[in-house]
Amino acid sequence: MRLVFRSCAFVASFLLALTFGAQAQEPIKIGVLLPFTGPLAKNGIENWEAMQIARDMINERGGVNGRKIEYVQGDATNPNAAISETERLITKDGVKITTGSFASPIAIAVSQAAERHGVFHWETTGAAEIITRRGFKYTFQVGAPARKYGQAAVDIVLDDLAKRLKKPAADVKLALLWENRAFGKSVGDGIRTYSQAKGIKLVYDEGYDQTATDMTPIVQKLKDVAPDVLIAISFPNDAILFQRKAKELDFNVAAFIGVSAGYSAPDLRDSIGDSVAGIFVADFPPKVNEGVLKPAVKEVAREFYKRYEAKLKRAPAGHAAAGFSAVWALFTEVLPKAKTYEPDELREIALKLDLPEGSLVNGSGIKFTNFDWPDDPKDAGQNLRASIGVWQWTKTGNEQVFPPELATHEPAMVPLPNWSNR
Amino acid sequence: MSTLIQLILSGILVGSVYALMSIGLTLIFGVLRIVNFAHGEFLMIAMYGAWAFTHLFGLNPYIAAVAIVPAMFLFGAVVYWLVINPALDKPHLVVVFATMALSIFLQNAALMAMTADLRDIPPIFNRSIVIGSIHLKVELLLGFAITLLCTFALQWMIRKTYLGKAIRATVQDGEAAMLMGIPVPRIFLITFAGGSALVGLAACVMVPLFSVFPSVGLNFVLIAFVIVVLGGMGSIEGALIGGICVGVVQSLSSYYVAPAFGQMFFFILFLLVMIFRPNGLLGQQGAATIGMNE
Repeated sequence: MRLVFRSCAFVASFLLALTFGAQAQEPIKIGVLLPFTGPLAKNGIENWEAMQIARDMINERGGVNGRKIEYVQGDATNPNAAISETERLITKDGVKITTGSFASPIAIAVSQAAERHGVFHWETTGAAEIITRRGFKYTFQVGAPARKYGQAAVDIVLDDLAKRLKKPAADVKLALLWENRAFGKSVGDGIRTYSQAKGIKLVYDEGYDQTATDMTPIVQKLKDVAPDVLIAISFPNDAILFQRKAKELDFNVAAFIGVSAGYSAPDLRDSIGDSVAGIFVADFPPKVNEGVLKPAVKEVAREFYKRYEAKLKRAPAGHAAAGFSAVWALFTEVLPKAKTYEPDELREIALKLDLPEGSLVNGSGIKFTNFDWPDDPKDAGQNLRASIGVWQWTKTGNEQVFPPELATHEPAMVPLPNWSNR
Repeated sequence: MSTLIQLILSGILVGSVYALMSIGLTLIFGVLRIVNFAHGEFLMIAMYGAWAFTHLFGLNPYIAAVAIVPAMFLFGAVVYWLVINPALDKPHLVVVFATMALSIFLQNAALMAMTADLRDIPPIFNRSIVIGSIHLKVELLLGFAITLLCTFALQWMIRKTYLGKAIRATVQDGEAAMLMGIPVPRIFLITFAGGSALVGLAACVMVPLFSVFPSVGLNFVLIAFVIVVLGGMGSIEGALIGGICVGVVQSLSSYYVAPAFGQMFFFILFLLVMIFRPNGLLGQQGAATIGMNE
């Protein structure tokens, strides 16, 4: 009898140990909210590919504190779907950490749903300023805020292109064209304010609807104002329509700067061919000068680029590098320091982060605002050290050209040849 | 002055392409009296077809029409049998939801099969035609010519041929037509498939102008609905005029007011027409149908 009792106890304790052991090995579930379908899927999937590489790399290294990372996908096609998908992941799958979501309107919706449930949201590339200015406690935006995109675009004009165009910076005729949704408007507003502060007057400043099917009026008006430099904020389809129309109506500028999204999408080259060469893009850097990266980060960067190119047979866009950088920081800087993995604890860890530039693969560092940023005391969870710069399409690929410390090459093709010579 | 001429000409040309894309919708609406909410997705599929044809065989997309138009006719026929026919004698909402479901299904099927990448074909004509300071894209001029030809051919077909007469009879009184020996279900099938074939033709004209992606239909379907209603539901030359109106209004208002309001203005035009000519520009009172508009 005693023997039976003992062996039972033994078996029981063994089973118990097994369950405990299994619990320690349970994966960390992270909800990934991205537009996997619908009109925004293009960049959403670009982010997703990179995030999968990050997950594989961390899991191959043994995971985080011995626990594997597991993604649960939510298809955030539009803001409404984003909210319901976030709610689903939180309530049905019990997710306490969410990430994603690429586009600003989606990021606004996802972070709102996450905040309501007290879930930790680690935003990869959403950019609209409002994301971190709603007094939320659990939203952290690792990518740069919208204003930085615009500032980079204006800065390259003032600090570099003006000289190449042999004009005083104040005499450069600058035009601004923006798509009128959250991202385009936010960036456009930033550029307007910033260029005014720098003493430059915009000769053209108009918004348009992203689903526009005819760009003739816009290009015609631009032709009438004849700017030296045009800064355009577009999505892929409208960027292509604009470039084709510019060619059709023979509209030429000395320098063309696209801001993120449409002008950074890799298929721009497939669509408009070699005439893509020479276009500048203010965006997350797709690949920065390795010199600025910390030695350990350099290794990770090489592995990421190698895997990405092997998987997709092309170099990653800025969105991919930013998506990778953000989740890699989550896996290596935030989660390893956690014990409970509860949102409150993760928040404390995130707020304590103080990583210099060059700590992430795309040249960013991390330092979040916490209602303490002098420019806007309502801002919380915005990364002040996110890298943003300007790169340029070349005949064969792309080169980072601005700011000089991140640059892999000097700006080329300034002034831009006329359409007849491109 | 040259700016104004440029804007009006561009508006007419692009508007005629919108019209071509809407004729199929108006034909289906006029005869079957159903709204095909998957119209944009039909266009998307046909555009993918034209793209693939050009891409794989290195052929001109206008030549691709030889294959795409019959293929879309077949596709239309299959959709008619699978989705439309079973819903025809049900309450009207059933067709609305059936075609909407079809729209979502096709969009996501395309996304799975083709991914969200934008597909384009290399430019066919490297230069625009330049007259003074006016630039006209050759592809748009061709689109305009094809639209005119297509409209007149269709008008002739409906007025003069036996099939056209049968279609008109079906529209005027389906039961009487059936009693006269007109195979009404077959007329429905042919009209629906024919409408899809026209979308196929529009797609071949549009592929050199616009990128193809799974949700491309959404950008155009709203314009198509406006054109169909504006022109007088079911009227073919009405669709042509409606399309050109939308193109010109969009072009002028985007230039003189603001590009963001281009769509708003053609909806204002739309509302005005609805208030003062509730049956559309060329529609006749009390009949949103092809037969009555003839």
